[in-house]
Amino acid sequence: MRTVYLAIKYTALLLWSSFVVFPFLWAFSTSFKTANAVTSGPKWIPWLQFEPSLQGWRSLFGGVGGTDISGPYLNSVIVTFSASLISLTLGTLAAYGLSRFQFRAGPIRNADITFFFISQRIMPPIVLAIPFFLMLRQLGLLDSLAGLVLVYIALLMPIAVWVMVDFFNNIPRELDEMAWLDGCSPVTTFFRVILPNSLPGLVVAGMFCVIFGWNDFFFAFTLTFTQTQLLPVAIVSLNSSVTPWWSLSASALISIAPLVLLAFVVERFLSRGGLAGAIR
Amino acid sequence: MAEIQLANLAHSYNPTAPTPAYALEPLDMTWSDGQTYALLGPSGCGKSTMLNIISGLLRPSTGRVLFDGKDVTAKDTRARNIAQVFQVPVIYRSMTVAQNIAFPLVCRRVPSHEIRRRVDHLAELLEMTHLLRTPAVRLTADQKQLVSLARGLVRDDVSALLLDEPLTVIDPHVKFALRRKLKAINAEYRMTMVLVTHDQNEALSFAQTVIVMNHGKVVQAGTPQELFERPDNEYVGYFIGSPAMNFLTAHVKGDQTGLDGCDSVLGVPHDLRETDSLKLGFRPEHVDPVKGDIQLKGSVRKILFEGVDRVLEIAAGRNLFRARLDNWSGAVGDQVSLRVPAANAHWYVNGNRIGQPVTRLAP
Repeated sequence: MRTVYLAIKYTALLLWSSFVVFPFLWAFSTSFKTANAVTSGPKWIPWLQFEPSLQGWRSLFGGVGGTDISGPYLNSVIVTFSASLISLTLGTLAAYGLSRFQFRAGPIRNADITFFFISQRIMPPIVLAIPFFLMLRQLGLLDSLAGLVLVYIALLMPIAVWVMVDFFNNIPRELDEMAWLDGCSPVTTFFRVILPNSLPGLVVAGMFCVIFGWNDFFFAFTLTFTQTQLLPVAIVSLNSSVTPWWSLSASALISIAPLVLLAFVVERFLSRGGLAGAIR
Repeated sequence: MAEIQLANLAHSYNPTAPTPAYALEPLDMTWSDGQTYALLGPSGCGKSTMLNIISGLLRPSTGRVLFDGKDVTAKDTRARNIAQVFQVPVIYRSMTVAQNIAFPLVCRRVPSHEIRRRVDHLAELLEMTHLLRTPAVRLTADQKQLVSLARGLVRDDVSALLLDEPLTVIDPHVKFALRRKLKAINAEYRMTMVLVTHDQNEALSFAQTVIVMNHGKVVQAGTPQELFERPDNEYVGYFIGSPAMNFLTAHVKGDQTGLDGCDSVLGVPHDLRETDSLKLGFRPEHVDPVKGDIQLKGSVRKILFEGVDRVLEIAAGRNLFRARLDNWSGAVGDQVSLRVPAANAHWYVNGNRIGQPVTRLAP
C-alpha cells in the first residue's frame, strides 16, 4: 500500500517537475543551435542531431549579428538593486509607523494611507508614463540611471509597504510594549527589537522588489533613448527580421540567472525557521 | 521604588460614547513603597487596565497617577521606570537568554561589568545559569516566562514591579517556588510589587494587601485576614475562601429576627427598612460543634472529604450552609446541631456588611 502511494507521489512530482523544467531545457538547447538546427524540426541531442554552436552566446557580448548586453546588464543590476534597497528602507519605516501609530488627517486614517500606497500599483502603467516622462524631463533626468532609480522607487515602495505593514501587524504589540518598559524609545524599539525580528518579512519584501524591478520593461523603454539601456530593452532590441532564437534563448537564461540565484539564497533564509513563532 | 497614588482615576475604552462604559470606575488609592499588593478578580474586571495605566501603556480617561507625589500621568512608559511581566512570555527572539535579561540595563547604559554581575546574580537566583548562552527562541514556554520575569527583576531601582498573571503558563510545582522567590526578592530589595491574578490562593499567599475588583470597581481592599474575616459584601464573601462564605436569609418579625436553620433568636439591626434584604454571613471555618453562641441546625446533604477536615453541606428550610469540621463522623441525612460565635457573624443588608454586631436575644 505504502509503496503504491510512494510510486504515485513520485510519478506526479516527476511529471510536474519535467513540466516546469522543460522550458528551461528548451531554451538551453536552443541557445546552442544555429539557424538550421532551429528551423529543421525537433532536435534534442547535441553532436548527434545538431552541431552545437556558441554563436548565440557570442552575439550577446558584441559578437556578429548581436549587441553587447554587458552594459545594459550592469545598468539593470544598479537600477534594480539600488531602487529596491531604498524602497525597502523607506517602505519598512513607513510600514512600522502605519502598523503601530495612529495617523489622522481629516477623514483619512491609517488604513486609507496604506491603501493609498497600494493604489499606486492599481493604475495601468501607461497612465503614469506621461507624467513620469514630463517630470523627469523637468529634472533633466530623462535617459539616466538616476531617473530610472527614482521612478522604480515610486513603483517598488508600495510593494515594500504593503508586505511590511502586514508583517508588522502580525508581530504582537506586547513586544513593543515590553521594549518601552525596558527603556527603549519608539525609535530604538524599532531598530533594536522589531527590526532584528523582521528578517523574514524583509527578505520577502526585498525579493518582490527585486523581481518587479528587474522584470520591468515598460518604464525602462519609455523613459530612455540612447544613453541608458536596461537589460529587458536590450534583449528586445536583439530581435530583427529573422528572429535570432539562439541569442534570445541565451539572453533569457542569462537574465533570469540572478533571480534564480537570489531565490536559492532566500529559500535558505526562510527555511531556517524565520517565520515560525514570532513570539511565545 | 516609589509610593504610587491613583487620584480620581477612571478609564473607558470609548470615552466619547453618550454613556461611556467604564473599564475602570473612578477610584482613589495609594500603594505604599516596598509593599506587595494583589489585584484579584475575575477576567475582564479591569485589573489589567489598571496595571497598564500605572505602567503608562494606557492613558487614563480621567484622573492622575502620581509616583512619590509627582504627577506622571502625561509621562511615557520609559520615563516611569516600571518593570512589568505580561501573562504571555515576551522574549526578544534575536537575543540569547543573557542578552534578554540584560536588555533593560543595556537600554539604560549601565556599565557592562555591572550588567554582568546582576545578570549572573539573577540567573543564579532563578536557577537558570546553565541557560544564559542559549538563544531565547529555544526555550520552553515556562523558561521563556522565567526570562521575562528576570528581565523585570534585573533593575533594582524600578518604581514598581507589575506582574500581570505571570504564573499562568508556569508548571504548578514551579509556580509555588517562584512565588516564594518573588517574596524573597521583595524582602531583599524592598521593591513595590503588584500582582494581578484571578487565583485567590495566589493573591492571599503573596500580597500584604489584596484588592478585590469586579466590573471595573474596587470592591474591597485589605489584608488577607480582613478579607477573610470581615468581607465588606457578599461578593467578597463568595470570592475569598474555599468553601465560600455562608449567607442565610433572615426574616424579621417585630423586633426579632428568625432564620431557617438557626435556633437562636437574634436582634434586628436598626435603621432596617421593610424592603431591605437581610442576611447573616459567617465562614464555614467558624462553625463548631460546641463553641459559639448562635445555634445552627439542619440535615447533612453532602459530605466533602478534605484531609483531616470534612466540609458538610447542611440544608435547613430554605437555607443551605456549609461547615468545615475536623474529626466529624456521621453520614448523609444526619440531623446536626452546630454553633457559631456571634463575633464571627455579620449582618449583610442588600449585599453589604453593616457595622452593627449580631446580638442573640434567646435562647
